[in-house]
This record gives sequence, C-alpha cells and structure tokens, in this order.
Amino acid sequence: MALTAQITAFVQRVVDAMGVSLSAKAEETPDGTRINLEGEDGGVFVRNGGEGLQALQHIVATAFRRQLGDDNRIVIDCNNFRRDKDAELKQMARLLAEKARSSGMPQEMGPLNPYERRIVHLAVAEDPTVTSESIGDAFMKTVIISTKR
Amino acid sequence: MSANPSTPLGAGPLRAVVEVVARGLVDHPDAVVVTESERRGSTVLELRTAPGDMGKIIGRQGRTAAALRTLLQVTADKHGKRASLDIRD
Repeated sequence: MALTAQITAFVQRVVDAMGVSLSAKAEETPDGTRINLEGEDGGVFVRNGGEGLQALQHIVATAFRRQLGDDNRIVIDCNNFRRDKDAELKQMARLLAEKARSSGMPQEMGPLNPYERRIVHLAVAEDPTVTSESIGDAFMKTVIISTKR
Repeated sequence: MSANPSTPLGAGPLRAVVEVVARGLVDHPDAVVVTESERRGSTVLELRTAPGDMGKIIGRQGRTAAALRTLLQVTADKHGKRASLDIRD
C-alpha cells in the first residue's frame, strides 16, 4: 500500500532528523498498520511511559488524517513497547471483566487515554455477558466494566 | 537523501526535527521557516508558517503543538541540550 510506504518514510525522516539511530519497519496486523522503530536508541521514545512515542503517534495521525480516513488505524511502536503494553492492557481488561462477572461488582480501570480505552472496550466486548463504559469528560477517562443486565 | 527538501543539510537535530514535523503537518511546507538562536545556554527555535497553516501546527486544544514540543524535548535530552519552541503567528 502506497500510503503505508509514505507514512513509514515520514517516520524515518523524523527519527533521522532527531539524530537517533532507529529504523522504521511497517507491518500489517489484524488491528491495522503498525510501524515499529527498531534500534539501540529506542529509549528516547519509550522513556517516561512512552511519551515520545505518544507524541510521534499524534503527529503521524494528524499529518495523515485525510489520507487515513476514519477506518484506517496506524500505530507507531518502538522496540515493541506499545505492542507489549497493549497486550498487558488487554489481559487486565479480560481479568477485570471476569471479576465483574463472578462478583457482580463493577470494576474500574484507568484513567486511560482514548487509544487505551479503545483496546479495553474491544477486549471487554469479546465477552457478551459484560459491558464497558467510559466515565468523565476529560481527555483521560476511567472505564467501568460491569455485568450486563 | 540530499534531494529531500524536508531534511535540511547541515541543520542541527533540534531545528531539523521541528522543520520535518512542521512540514509534515501543513498544507504549504515550503513556507515553513525555523530559526535557531542561543539564549542563556538554551536553544530557542522559532517556527513560522503560512498564515492559514498555524492552526494545523497548534491542533485541537494545542495538542499538536504539545506533541511537537515533546519531540523537541526528547531530541534535546538525547543530545544533552536544552531547547524551547516559539510558535509565531
């Protein structure tokens, strides 16, 4: 896909400009396109809970918003940091869904950013007996996981 | 790579990252100008764009500008420098 190549090239230009030694590799996953930055300088993006990675993610999503449209998602990763964190988040969501179901008590998760909430909602939706909703009106929201009535 | 207008030859990483990111965000990349100066041991970057492109740099609730500043900070840390960004309109 030409767009993926274009985005990968842009990400590479940004990291080259930053003077860090990382190389952008694109792959297609069931959740969309993922561009992973590989190399020894990964720390610059992963540090402080991955704030550099989040910033780059926002820049890329904004720069290519028109071409990506509503349905195409692109995830920027660095030495698989994001992928591992997402897997943890998914596991936690499933665990809390299980807890909500067995105890009947709503479970709280967060505060989470929109990207994280999407992962949680999708993980919870795999189980038809539980449901999830976001609470709050700020950028970061808490997700409540509870049994369906 | 030298033919690529968005990776300025000879520019330091601080200026380069602001230029490359800004040019990726705007409708008129050729109008993006970044100047660099030193003030009390810290590098000050000044970013100017075509008038209609300023909103694209700032973003909703300033989130894009915040992301650009984060990338600049991360770059400065990596190179043992201090930097700040002035967005001029």
